[in-house]
Amino acid sequence: MSDILKIEPIDNWLKKNNWSFYNHQVETVKLSENGFDVLLVAPTGGGKTLAGFLPSLNDLINNKSEKNKLHTLYISPLKALTIDVHRNLTSPIEDQGLDIRVETRTGDTSAYKKNRQKILPPHMLMTTPESLALLLSNKESKDYFKYLKYLIIDEIHVLVNSKRGDLLSLNLSRIHSISPDCKRIGLSATVKNKETVLKFLTSKNKAKILNVKETSFPKIEILETKTRVPWSGHMASYAIKDIYQKIQKSSLTIVFVNTRAQAELVFNKLWQENDNNLKIAIHHGSLEKEIRRKVENLMSLGKIDCVVATSSLDLGIDWGDVDLVIQIGSPKGISRFLQRIGRSNHKFDEPSNAILVPSNRFEYLECLSAINSIQNKLLDETREKKGSLDVLAQHVLGVACSEPFQVDDLYNQVINAWPYRNLTKTKFLEVVEFVKNGGYSLKHYEQYSKIALNKDKFYAINNKSIRNRYKLNVGTIVESYMLKVKLGNKTLGQVEEWFIEGLNEGDTFLFGGRVLEYQSISNNNVIVKSTSHTQPKIPSYAGGRLPLSTELSIEVRKLLSKKQFWKNFPNQINEWLKLQSKFSNLPSLNGLLVETFPRLVRGKKRFFLICYTFEGRNANQTLGFLILKKMQRIGYKPLSFVATDYALAIWSINEVEDINIILNDDLMLDDLYEWLEETPLLKKNFRDAAIISGLIERSIPGKKKTGKQVLFNSDLIFNVLKKHEPKHLLLEVARDDSFRGLIDLDRLSEFLKRIENNITYKKLDRISPLAVPLILEINRQTIDKSEMEEYFLEELENEILSEFGLN
Amino acid sequence: MKTINFNNHKFQISRDGILFWFDKQIAIISDLHLEKGSSFGPSGQFLPPYDSEETLRNLLNAIKKYNITKVILLGDTFHDKNAFNRMSNEALILFEKFIKKYEVIFVLGNHETKMKIENIEFFNEYILDGIHFIHQTSKKYIYQISGHYHPVATIRTGSKKITGKCFIQEQYNLIMPSYGVYTGGLNIKNKIFKKIFKKEPNIYFLGKRSIYKFPYKFYL
Repeated sequence: MSDILKIEPIDNWLKKNNWSFYNHQVETVKLSENGFDVLLVAPTGGGKTLAGFLPSLNDLINNKSEKNKLHTLYISPLKALTIDVHRNLTSPIEDQGLDIRVETRTGDTSAYKKNRQKILPPHMLMTTPESLALLLSNKESKDYFKYLKYLIIDEIHVLVNSKRGDLLSLNLSRIHSISPDCKRIGLSATVKNKETVLKFLTSKNKAKILNVKETSFPKIEILETKTRVPWSGHMASYAIKDIYQKIQKSSLTIVFVNTRAQAELVFNKLWQENDNNLKIAIHHGSLEKEIRRKVENLMSLGKIDCVVATSSLDLGIDWGDVDLVIQIGSPKGISRFLQRIGRSNHKFDEPSNAILVPSNRFEYLECLSAINSIQNKLLDETREKKGSLDVLAQHVLGVACSEPFQVDDLYNQVINAWPYRNLTKTKFLEVVEFVKNGGYSLKHYEQYSKIALNKDKFYAINNKSIRNRYKLNVGTIVESYMLKVKLGNKTLGQVEEWFIEGLNEGDTFLFGGRVLEYQSISNNNVIVKSTSHTQPKIPSYAGGRLPLSTELSIEVRKLLSKKQFWKNFPNQINEWLKLQSKFSNLPSLNGLLVETFPRLVRGKKRFFLICYTFEGRNANQTLGFLILKKMQRIGYKPLSFVATDYALAIWSINEVEDINIILNDDLMLDDLYEWLEETPLLKKNFRDAAIISGLIERSIPGKKKTGKQVLFNSDLIFNVLKKHEPKHLLLEVARDDSFRGLIDLDRLSEFLKRIENNITYKKLDRISPLAVPLILEINRQTIDKSEMEEYFLEELENEILSEFGLN
Repeated sequence: MKTINFNNHKFQISRDGILFWFDKQIAIISDLHLEKGSSFGPSGQFLPPYDSEETLRNLLNAIKKYNITKVILLGDTFHDKNAFNRMSNEALILFEKFIKKYEVIFVLGNHETKMKIENIEFFNEYILDGIHFIHQTSKKYIYQISGHYHPVATIRTGSKKITGKCFIQEQYNLIMPSYGVYTGGLNIKNKIFKKIFKKEPNIYFLGKRSIYKFPYKFYL
């Protein structure tokens, strides 16, 4: 394909396999040789990773390089990906007998190997953002990275909008100060705002985006079933038989689900259907590493027929020849869905096959919208994120661990990182003060300061133990406290402590595809035994449920508002919507439909208020709290609410008389700030910030702290800090994160603007067809709210007392 | 406030964990753990250093509205033997005010064994009308009011669990919750409590709006 590029050993290797260079691979090398930083945006399977390494390989093969110095650094968000890429790269290198040493370094790498890498660095090192931060905090890091010539960042699009990305960006800037001529290559899946990703990659003006167009379009359909799509639920149990048949017809299928709980249940159900003894496996993040590796290995050897997986298999790893991807439940976002589809027929010019299985009626609309979006080439937007200050605090300490720094120098280095480009000097100094001794106006900790000015006016760490402690606390992911699940001597994986706390001895739950009986906890292990029970309690893990993306939400509203689209819907969905339009109204594209109706709850008449917002669960949850608060003030005595991706239902003792007052936007945003201070969400974000910033340690050397203790302490600290220093750095971080994250404030404000003067209100005498899924959902959820808890407590006490004839 | 009877005396418990003996103009408080926050300083964990101030202010505000002359502190008033020296000026001012205004009895806690503070005497126990005020309950069949364990209880409401501080009472024992703002808790279903109580004790759960007395078996 190219006569310009000559990398002989690679040419030979390609020829041997009947391959040749793609244009974009050649182009990447050319740009890089001309001094450009390159962002390569390409769909999966386009030889993207090789393209990223070619400039470096070219240099190592054709030019003389420093002996025994690190030449190329490859960073990926996934440990598994570093291993996969390592394997793929080793194959041409070994085949051609090249003298290039390639090694990985992650949290799983042995201390021995890490030490050897320190003394004798490989030419190419593959690592993760966290391991990079650790490497850079070493005393010798300046020498280590001095000769670095190439930096490759894989799947860079997933890092842009996260705290992990902040950490990486700060460290990229640090590497730049050590080795200014190092060239960067970013590899990204197709995203909407490529410019943002490029800016994240590099601050150089000499930077280019290489965009590789898709040559084939995925074949996507919605699973047709004889059984009805259920009103509510997330497990798609109704479709298991049909899913099984599809698996049977393909050679290797990945069944993607959104949560680990779904994975367990779907896996269990598939095995109940498995009359033909298909080899079906399960893969999710809680399973023990060895178990996951085993499944991955079996996949690449083609020895299994199907894997049920969560996002643990999302990103760019090729485990064998997958020819079908089944997505259970809505993918919730277009880009994420594309990434998953890309797992099948992982070849550049062949179409991928995917089947969507909606788990309820609203999801059917969502799935259809996802397909429309992909056909119309719509993509989700990656929102930009301001660099977080807790991550910066961690970084500042990390820098001090490697060498003393001067405030102005470090500030200039920090604002060179894209997320921190607008950071003021004042804020930066505030962060330095925080690192020093907590940043309180009451100077209580001077004597214990972590960093202090030395005689040259450089900040240095006060003793070596600070470096050791720092190393134990690196990273931006704060997980719930996990316990090991032990069956005999075998570790099956990990499960959140709070989940086990809810179990009694003898209770059963699904884990790793088995039904297990809980026996006891000892030394942070959950002791279980096998059981023949068939009806287990299902682990309902907290993570994994993403809200509906803005882009998908618009598509869903479009589908609903135009009847001409409906003719392709299956009958049951069509009838459901027709009934709704007859009985009430349909949600419009830009307005808001509100319904009210009375309904008995446990024998008592309650009034329901439903808002069909389609703004995603997080924004709906926030809106729910706000409306609830306002209803309380007016005296409607609201009892609780439930929020889904599509709508919000609130029920109260008194009937709501004035809808407009309740949805008035000025008042609502005032409430928001007041309300935020009381939410468990703010407390959770505070805890994360306290851990990331190093205020509370993840673990103390030689002393294991339980996760529960950390949580309890951080809540107490939170309350005291809020009272005495309401503007403290960590509170600022927690508030920012809350507004940006689960509360989805931006989206909520946009929504309130959109619906202004555009509310359709229907007062009904009973439940509407569109409200049925919500009312069913009410049985599944309850609300986190201290005030609500008190309502429940009083009700509970009355109930219990009357049970005993005392009331 | 909720009224309870202990050794034929009437006591009141408050939602924030104070025991009042109004007949004697006494308030009883346990486990303040002053300066717990700053005790993590040497390990590089700089917790907000306002806990002593906060705890003392809460305490003063809580008892000033009643006719109280004597305060019994059931031990672990200070988190460690150097705690007093670490207290901020604000906290010290409040502390001075507290011991000037009330006759304060300091019962000795396990965190204070090597502690020495000028003009303050720690007692192993204090006895009044046949009731023993001590830090940690003994196995003797005597009427005793103690602290030490920081009891908390958990109750399920709907599908949600709520944990809160609580008082534990049985015939001879009244165990108080901890009062300090940085103090954690030990669940009443922990086996340590099973060794102390032969029968199911009464649990007074301190809710945000009221004090609840659920049957023992409802706690998790």
